[in-house]
Amino acid sequence: MNNLAFELRDIHFSYLGKFPALSGVNINIRPGEKVTVIGANGSGKSTLLHMLDGLIFPDQGTIKAFGENLNENVFADENFSRNFRKKVGLVFQNPDVQLFCPTAQEDIIFGPLQLGMEKGEIENRLEELAGILNLKHLLDRPPHQLSVGEKRKVALASTLIINPEVLILDEPTAGLDPLTTRHIIDLLVPADGSGKTIIISTHDLHLAEEISDIIYVFSPEKRIVKCGKPEEILNDGQLLHDNNLIHIHRHKHKDTTHIHPHLH
Amino acid sequence: MSFFKDSVFSDENASKNGFLQSLDPRIKTITFLLFLVQILLTRNIFILLCLYAVSVLLACFSKIRLGFFLKRTWVFIPLFSLFIAIPAIFSIFTPGEPLTTVKIAGLTLIITRPGLSGAALFIARVVTSVSFVVLLNITTKHFELLKVLRIFKIPQIFVMTLGMCYRYIFLFIGIIENTHLAVKSRVGIKIRPKKGQRIVASNITSLWQRSYQLNEDVYQAMLSRGYNGEPLVLNNFKAGWQDWLWLLCALTIFITIR
Ligand SMILES: Nc1ncnc2c1ncn2[C@@H]1O[C@H](COP(=O)(O)OP(=O)(O)O)[C@@H](O)[C@H]1O
Ligand SMILES: [Mg+2]
Repeated sequence: MNNLAFELRDIHFSYLGKFPALSGVNINIRPGEKVTVIGANGSGKSTLLHMLDGLIFPDQGTIKAFGENLNENVFADENFSRNFRKKVGLVFQNPDVQLFCPTAQEDIIFGPLQLGMEKGEIENRLEELAGILNLKHLLDRPPHQLSVGEKRKVALASTLIINPEVLILDEPTAGLDPLTTRHIIDLLVPADGSGKTIIISTHDLHLAEEISDIIYVFSPEKRIVKCGKPEEILNDGQLLHDNNLIHIHRHKHKDTTHIHPHLH
Repeated sequence: MSFFKDSVFSDENASKNGFLQSLDPRIKTITFLLFLVQILLTRNIFILLCLYAVSVLLACFSKIRLGFFLKRTWVFIPLFSLFIAIPAIFSIFTPGEPLTTVKIAGLTLIITRPGLSGAALFIARVVTSVSFVVLLNITTKHFELLKVLRIFKIPQIFVMTLGMCYRYIFLFIGIIENTHLAVKSRVGIKIRPKKGQRIVASNITSLWQRSYQLNEDVYQAMLSRGYNGEPLVLNNFKAGWQDWLWLLCALTIFITIR
C-alpha cells in the first residue's frame, strides 16, 4: 500500500472528443508536497487541475486519489463525494466562474454549508478569514461588482474556509498587484511549513521558485517535458524559452550570468 | 443592463428590513400562492384591482422603490397584450355587442364590448399576478427561495434546473455587457446603444455558446465545493407571531373576497 495523495498514469483527455488537452501525463504527488505546474497558455494546466479535483475524468489512463480510483461512479456515492470535497479544494482560474452567489459572504460560506459544517464554526472561520484577507468591507457586496483582485481573494476565501488537506490553485496570482501577491504567498506558505498538499499552476516563476518542492513543465503538446527541483528547472533557460515561459535577457554582472525571466 | 442586473440579482431588496423581508419565507410563499390562486379564479375586475392595490401597498411597506416596482411589473404587459389581449378585443375572437370598428388594410375589424372587458380583465389579472411574483422574488433571497421550494417537496431536479436558469440569465447578461464594452473599446469611439445592440445581436450564437460554457464551468465550481443539488442557507427558518398574524390576514382576504 503506497500512500500517495495522487497517482496519475498515462492520462489522456480531450474536450468533446476532439480538442486534446492532456496527452500522456504521469504524475505522483505525495501528501504534503508543494507542486507547481508551469507551461504556456493552453498547455493543459487547468485541465489537469480540474481532473485532480474530480471534476473531469480521463478518457484513457487512471487517476488515483488517496489510493482510490477516481471516476464518475465513485462520485455518485454521496459519502465518497462529500469526503473528497472536504479533502480537496480548488480555486478556479476565473473567479467569475467560482463566484455565483448574490453576495461575497454567501459565496464564502457556500462550501462549508454544503459540506455540513457546523454553523458556529462557519461563522468563526468566516470572521477569521475575512480578517486575514482583509475582506470585511466586501462581504455584503455582490461579487460581480468587485475588482479582479478582490474577486480572487473572495474566491480564495471560499475554498480556504473548507480547510482542505489538498489545496489546488489555478493561477492564483494572475492579475494581482505585488502586495496582494505577496500576501497570498505568505498565506499559502506558513512559516512552519504546515502539512497541506499544495498544487499550483502559474506563469509566475518567482512564485514557483518560492513555493515549490517540485516543478512540472508542460509543453504545448500537452504533456510533461520535464520535472525537477526549482533550481534545476528555473536555471534551464533553454527549456523555459522553448516552452514560452520567458524572454531571456542575459546580463553579465562581474563574472556571473544572470537570467532575467520576463513573464508573459 | 447593469441597472437590470443589479436590481434583479443582487438581493439588494431582499436584504432591506421591510415587512415582507421580515416574514418567514415559507409562510410568505404560501400566502402569495393563495393570492395567486385568488387572482386566477376571480372574474371580478374590482377584486383584481383591490388585490393589485394590496401588492403595491406591500411593496411600499417593504421599502421597495415604487418606480422600480412598477417598472419591473409593467415591463411584461406589452408582450402579453400583443399576443393575447389585443386579438381578443375583436369580434372574430370574441363575438358580442360592437363598440367601434377599425379599418386596417381593407379589413373591417369590430371591437366588441365583451371582448374589451375580457381584455381588461386579462390585463388586470396578468399585472396583478406578475406583481405578486415579482414581489416574492425581490424580497426573498435566491437560495432561500430555492430552499422553500425544496421544503414544499418540489423535486430536486426541478429546483436545480431553476437555480441554473437563474445563474444562466445572470451570466448571459454579464457576457452581453462585457461584449458591448469590448466592441466599444475595439471600435474606439463611443458607439450608440442601438448599434452596439446590433453588433451584440449578430453575435448571438457565439454568445449563447459562451454563456453555455460558462454555465458548465460554474456548475463544476459548485460541485467542487460540495454542491449536490440541495440548496442550503445559513439561517434556519423560524416562524414568529408576525408570520402567523400575516397568514391569518391573507386567509381572511382569501375567504371573504371570492
Ligand atoms: N471547454 C473546452 N472546450 C474545448 N477545448 C478546450 C476547453 N477548455 C480547454 N480546451 C483546450 O484544451 C487545451 C488545454 O487548455 P487548458 O487546460 O485550459 O490550458 P492552460 O490552463 O494551460 O492554459 C487548450 O488547447 C484548450 O484550447
Ligand atoms: Mg488555465
